[in-house]
Amino acid sequence: PPSPTPGSKALYLCSPFAEAALVKGNFKTIVMLPKYVDMTEWVAVNIFDFYTNLNLFYGVLTECCTSQSCPTMSAGPQLDYTWIDQNRRQIKLAAPTYIDYVMTWVQNLLDDDLVFPTKAGREFPPNFPSTTKHIYRQLLRVFAHIYHAHYHQLLHFRSEPHFNSLFAHFLAFGREYGLLEVKDVRGTATSPVGVGDLWEKWKDMGILEG
Amino acid sequence: PSSSSKGPDYVYFDRSVAAFSEDAILKAKAAQLKLANYYKIAVDSAIERNTRRVELERKLAADTTSSDDRKARQLAQLGRKESAFLRLRRTKLGLDDFRTVKVIGKGAFGEVRLVQKADTGKIYAMKTLMKSEMLKKDQLAHVRAERDVLAESNSPWVVQLFYSFQDTSYLYLIMEFLPGGDLMTMLIRYDTFSEDVTRFYMAECVLAIEAVHKLGFIHRDIKPDNILIDKDGHIKLSDFGLSTGFHKQHDSNYYSRLLDTTNGVSPASNPGRNSVMVNAIHLTMTSKDEIATWKANRRKLAYSTVGTPDYIAPEIFLMQGYGNECDWWSLGAIMFECLVGYPPFCSNSTHETYKKILEWQNYLVIPDDVHLSHESEDMIRRLICGQDQRFNVDQIKNHSFFYGVDWETLRQIDAPFIPNLRSVTDTSNFPTDELESVPDQPAGADTSGANKDLAFLGYTFKRFTTSGSGF
Ligand SMILES: Nc1ncnc2c1ncn2[C@@H]1O[C@H](COP(=O)(O)OP(=O)(O)OP(=O)(O)O)[C@@H](O)[C@H]1O
Repeated sequence: PPSPTPGSKALYLCSPFAEAALVKGNFKTIVMLPKYVDMTEWVAVNIFDFYTNLNLFYGVLTECCTSQSCPTMSAGPQLDYTWIDQNRRQIKLAAPTYIDYVMTWVQNLLDDDLVFPTKAGREFPPNFPSTTKHIYRQLLRVFAHIYHAHYHQLLHFRSEPHFNSLFAHFLAFGREYGLLEVKDVRGTATSPVGVGDLWEKWKDMGILEG
Repeated sequence: PSSSSKGPDYVYFDRSVAAFSEDAILKAKAAQLKLANYYKIAVDSAIERNTRRVELERKLAADTTSSDDRKARQLAQLGRKESAFLRLRRTKLGLDDFRTVKVIGKGAFGEVRLVQKADTGKIYAMKTLMKSEMLKKDQLAHVRAERDVLAESNSPWVVQLFYSFQDTSYLYLIMEFLPGGDLMTMLIRYDTFSEDVTRFYMAECVLAIEAVHKLGFIHRDIKPDNILIDKDGHIKLSDFGLSTGFHKQHDSNYYSRLLDTTNGVSPASNPGRNSVMVNAIHLTMTSKDEIATWKANRRKLAYSTVGTPDYIAPEIFLMQGYGNECDWWSLGAIMFECLVGYPPFCSNSTHETYKKILEWQNYLVIPDDVHLSHESEDMIRRLICGQDQRFNVDQIKNHSFFYGVDWETLRQIDAPFIPNLRSVTDTSNFPTDELESVPDQPAGADTSGANKDLAFLGYTFKRFTTSGSGF
């Protein structure tokens, strides 16, 4: 697929696409912790839903996201994410491989009753907060790659209002519960994350409040 | 288009899906619909959750007798319920989450078992439906859609569905367990009911059928086996959403084929000829032998895939189109059976029954040795009659047979037979000895627990709380 020409503004930052939204108004209603509800349970079900919904859209793009089209897990002109292997080595992977690793890893965690308990009476493990931060970070990378490399394909499908709202909800929720680090959204000065600018833009527009 | 009014960042993008596979296009559409649905539900449930909280807070504020401590506990309790409900959304279920206590029933597509959920110890009835037996494949989607609506109903007249899940061979429905058995078993036990007892069951059926119709459904297969009895002796209709429209026996083509193989000619297309046969069949019908055979086989009939057409209205076979009045015909046939001891068109074979139903004018006969009050007989004849003449729900409720019935409080009054239960798992009202050969686990089911399905959550939070028996 044609990547955005260097120098020109990314499509997802342009009008009318950056403003396109399925969910209008403030995310507060669906992000805020419902009174008296257990916060861990609330975070768990939301992560479950973000994963499911992101998977849904990545499923649309699998024929576009191949090791030929995306030999690296790109998320900006100067940014390729690396995967840390079992020996703690950073390795470059083709985007579909990387995303497959992420999604499989998250799915396994969600299916593990010791990590995401579903049985009545079973508690969340003590390291649950750090696990969820890890998951969030990796899901953010999948969003970042789709925005960077596949946004024009989402435009062909007219899916940008949907995908934008999913991502905006993901960002709003992540900030509210401390699951998302600003540095992960922005990246570094030398290799910025493409969607970091979108985040700024949405913040300015006031759609992430809540 | 001027870029000035649209801002400097305005971009035109030429959209086209020509470069994508059919599969991707369909997936994209599905993803959009699912996401739109997801956010709709997310907003709705936020509002509902909020309403529940505000209601409780208001109630507690108005309550001057409870201590603050007690009030705080009640609010915490609501929080726990809401949290448990969120957990349910992530819960996957498989057969290994349930332990079979006993096989309690058998239907056309599988069995019904009394089960206990392993982690909570709660008791449910689990119905299995063999997918391969469900004739046409697209019926599964149909079943699902109907079940969705069904699960939304919170009607006391309909058996509650808590969950459903599937594996490669079966669809599983986890429902509330009704310990009183069914009306078929009662009729086998008591043979006939008095007019008073019949009035009670028929009146409850009227309200149950009305509730089903109000939900937008036509049951089409109301029969004594589908009328279940709760612990207090009141009735509920079993999961009609599944019986609607896909059973073999309701396939009108199936009936026409059956008919063609009998005398070669369809009575519907040749009414003249059939009137000639009236007497012969009429005689057979009142013969004690035939009725005895029918009774002896009553349960076997319920277990067979072909099922019994005894209670089905003629218009259903005739493919002429029908509305919910077909359910009132079934009620008439059941009422006849309650008072007379066998259904009006029973015969030794399915095609005989079928023919009698089509020519009901000639075969609807109250036997001489059975004495019915004028009101009872009239009620039956207002139900078992032509589509156009059949009474509607208001006419039925106002019929003299139901004189004295208080429709508003019916479910609160004492039932004529209250099951005498020794425990929550008492199965004495079920023919369990006849079902001993049925295995505890359905054959070929996935018991590994490896491929669990996300539990289908078709019920509202209300159902979860009011039932008190959510997971
Ligand atoms: N929720 C329940 N609680 C107790 N017993 C039940 C329950 N559901 C079904 N049964 C028993 O199992 C028997 C068979 O169930 P059911 O009639 O639903 O199966 P079926 O014949 O496949 O249904 P249908 O053909 O009407 O779709 C019933 O007659 C009843 O005795």
